[in-house]
Amino acid sequence: MRTRNLTFALALLPLAFVSGCRKQTAGAKADPLLAAYDSEPDWADSTKIVPLGYQEAQGKRIFYQYCVWCHADSTPAGPSNRSNLKPVPPLLNDGATLNTESDEYLQNIITLGGSAMGKSAMMPPYGRTLSAGEIRSVIAFTRAIAQPPYQPPGRPGSQYSAK
Amino acid sequence: MSAEEMGKVTNRTRFVFAVSSLIFLAVLAISPLKDYGREWKQYKRSYLRFAQGRPDTKRLTADYSPNIDQIWLPGMNVVDRCTTCHQGITQATLGDKSVPQPFRAHPPIPHNVRDWGCTICHRGQGPATEVAEAHESTLAWEQPALPTHFIQASCGTCHLADLPQTPQLTKGRQVLAELNCQGCHKMQGIERPAMLGPDLSSVGTKVSREWIYKWLKEPRTIVDKDGNVTVNGVETEEEPRMPKFRLTETELRALSGYLSLQKAKPITPYKIPPGVVAAWSKNPELISQGELRFRQMFCSTCHSLAVTRAGETKLIGGDIGPELTKVGSKVNSDWLVTWLRDPESYLPHTRMPRYGWSDEDLYKVSQYITTKLVDSDLLTNIPKLDPPADEEVQLGRRLFTEKGCASCHVIEGLNPQKDFGPDLTALGGKNASELEFGAAKIQHNLVSYIQAKLQDPVSVNPAARMPQYDWNQADLDAVTAALLSMKGAPPTSALQNLVVPRKDTAFHPTGSFAEVYERYKCYTCHKFNGYGGDLAPDLTYEGSRAQRQWIVEFLKNPQTLRPTLILRMPQLNMSDKDASTLADYLSMVMQHPAVNPAALDTKQFTPAMASLGKQLYEVKYQCQSCHTIGSSGGYVGPNLNNAGAWLTPAWIEAWLKNPQALVPDSIEPRRNFTDEEIKALTAYLMTLRAGIKPQKTASISGARSSAQGAGR
Repeated sequence: MRTRNLTFALALLPLAFVSGCRKQTAGAKADPLLAAYDSEPDWADSTKIVPLGYQEAQGKRIFYQYCVWCHADSTPAGPSNRSNLKPVPPLLNDGATLNTESDEYLQNIITLGGSAMGKSAMMPPYGRTLSAGEIRSVIAFTRAIAQPPYQPPGRPGSQYSAK
Repeated sequence: MSAEEMGKVTNRTRFVFAVSSLIFLAVLAISPLKDYGREWKQYKRSYLRFAQGRPDTKRLTADYSPNIDQIWLPGMNVVDRCTTCHQGITQATLGDKSVPQPFRAHPPIPHNVRDWGCTICHRGQGPATEVAEAHESTLAWEQPALPTHFIQASCGTCHLADLPQTPQLTKGRQVLAELNCQGCHKMQGIERPAMLGPDLSSVGTKVSREWIYKWLKEPRTIVDKDGNVTVNGVETEEEPRMPKFRLTETELRALSGYLSLQKAKPITPYKIPPGVVAAWSKNPELISQGELRFRQMFCSTCHSLAVTRAGETKLIGGDIGPELTKVGSKVNSDWLVTWLRDPESYLPHTRMPRYGWSDEDLYKVSQYITTKLVDSDLLTNIPKLDPPADEEVQLGRRLFTEKGCASCHVIEGLNPQKDFGPDLTALGGKNASELEFGAAKIQHNLVSYIQAKLQDPVSVNPAARMPQYDWNQADLDAVTAALLSMKGAPPTSALQNLVVPRKDTAFHPTGSFAEVYERYKCYTCHKFNGYGGDLAPDLTYEGSRAQRQWIVEFLKNPQTLRPTLILRMPQLNMSDKDASTLADYLSMVMQHPAVNPAALDTKQFTPAMASLGKQLYEVKYQCQSCHTIGSSGGYVGPNLNNAGAWLTPAWIEAWLKNPQALVPDSIEPRRNFTDEEIKALTAYLMTLRAGIKPQKTASISGARSSAQGAGR
């Protein structure tokens, strides 16, 4: 009798091990805004909020300090300078114009200014004012708010990857 | 026991041993299996599979080891095994959003993860190797990972000085200070200013008991059920500074009675000379002239008014002083005239300048305020209140300290209770078990607690004395981040050394300058060596920037220099003596160490240089995209029509070399000018002169539109 109990107990032992094994945790309900560093209302539709990561949020900050005056229709101080300029600078969310330009091109035109890239000299160079990282973050912000949305180009395939 | 029986027992024992050895074998087999299936090992393997599908497999797997990865920083109490699963955080190619978590790269931030670990900023349980244990609040570890939305709080734990990268945190600290939270709570990095709420020692000379009753019952701000905030019936984004206290009828009567008797400094009414009154009182232009002067003096730089344009009513104007739409029905008219003439006689710490009034202007403007800025319905729903009985006054006096009024408002002879609200210096590091959630149906964690307490203090603690504030979501989140950042003194000395303190920004001028500076309250809007408001230009280097004669003329007759800037310098009606005292001090003392206007010889600029400069300005660099000369050009930079009389050539040269060296957050880009180009541009700008003509057409609309979403 005692032996049977003992056997039984021993047989249960692995079960005890196994039972402690997997803890099922409810998947965290991800609120996209709680997971974002900052956010920006969609320029065309203010009820839509675009969540921004750290880099995009830094871009937003720099945009609202340096670029908003000419690349938006209204500015923190009221009227925009955009209407004074010819050619008219694109709005920052103008996907139709900016989505076709590569990150490298945008990096260059911000760093070197319009005249260096064959565009209007009214776009000044910011390469000595902003760091390369800051300019990259402005581009990331541009991409985040673009309308129509920006699609990154396909990743170039590696020559070593298996066919 | 017989031998046979012995054999039986042995056989049975053998059987038991055989079975149990099999079971132990099975158990032994399970444990490596179980070990193989551990959560972190699964992530390790899936990272390998993921990396093999990428073109740069070699680089992605260079540091790969199948074991637990750990960042150990003994001095900072960091044992972080987060990189065991988050294996791609330092891989630049894994930055974009298509990379699945937990493998995505960390965005580039100023701190290297190898030197800082993860939990210093993100919180959570560093040594844990299971997803739930590491990120969530468990019985053994109550600090869950911080939602990324509030992550700026972690920057603020060490960076007590404001950083440009953390706008939410900076905003939160500002809102805490603006709402006078430091009146009742001790908080990290927020000092108690000289004045929180207005001094009420003589409030009885200013307003009636009925008005006090109404204000206490419903501070002119009302929030409807959708959370829209209205001030005097006009919608606004601003948070009202005076919160709503939950007062009973008896308490309202007692407090209003007590306050209406506060007349420590009786007013001596200023008699406007009868000649002025006689000349103007019958004039039909009186009120419109008063309104014109009110505008011309730029009262709206600090005070807002409800203005209806195209059917839409908006509050327009600044928020340094109170909103004034119905002030004529609020204050006693004798008080108003005395206040306008000398605000400091009523409120010693006021930020309102003492204008140099002429009797005529004073009469016109005060008549405008008392006839036009009124609302006859203001006190309609308020009961008629008689002079208070003694018991009411006694109760009111007691309530004034008990309700915490005395923590923000001064009344002579009354001391505030010490430490009225809880100390919040270490709130941000509290565990959920240290907080009281009461009957509130919210998640039991610090973030939910802070937000619930801010939105409705009695929801978590029915006995809370904290008044009711009205928040918009952005401000609520900003304040939450600021409170989460306050984790008290760092636990280790290594961390202690990392704290970046706030800069001490005292500016104590002396002598005759100080007298004029105090009289006109220059620091309400301007900064001097880091001290002062940020509404108007920083004057720390004004002596290097502007010519002395220009400063004098500007002070006598301010005009706008920047077409996009709407807020403007008030017309202070300064005397010649005051203007030259200020100009002397500014041009002698407020100098940039590297820019000395006196050291530059202006004779070197030739007409040939100037014409080259003009060409550079107009063609090569197209400065007109941002600056206006004549009547054409952009709105971004200052108007340069009068540059030759305004700026010093030394400043222009230094500015063109590197604007950010002089004004660190200037938006003018630093260009690659040659020295010759700089000389030519300076020569050209020095030729630009225009008589100082006051421009009085600037509108004040949109002064309150914030940077947020301004692109819309």
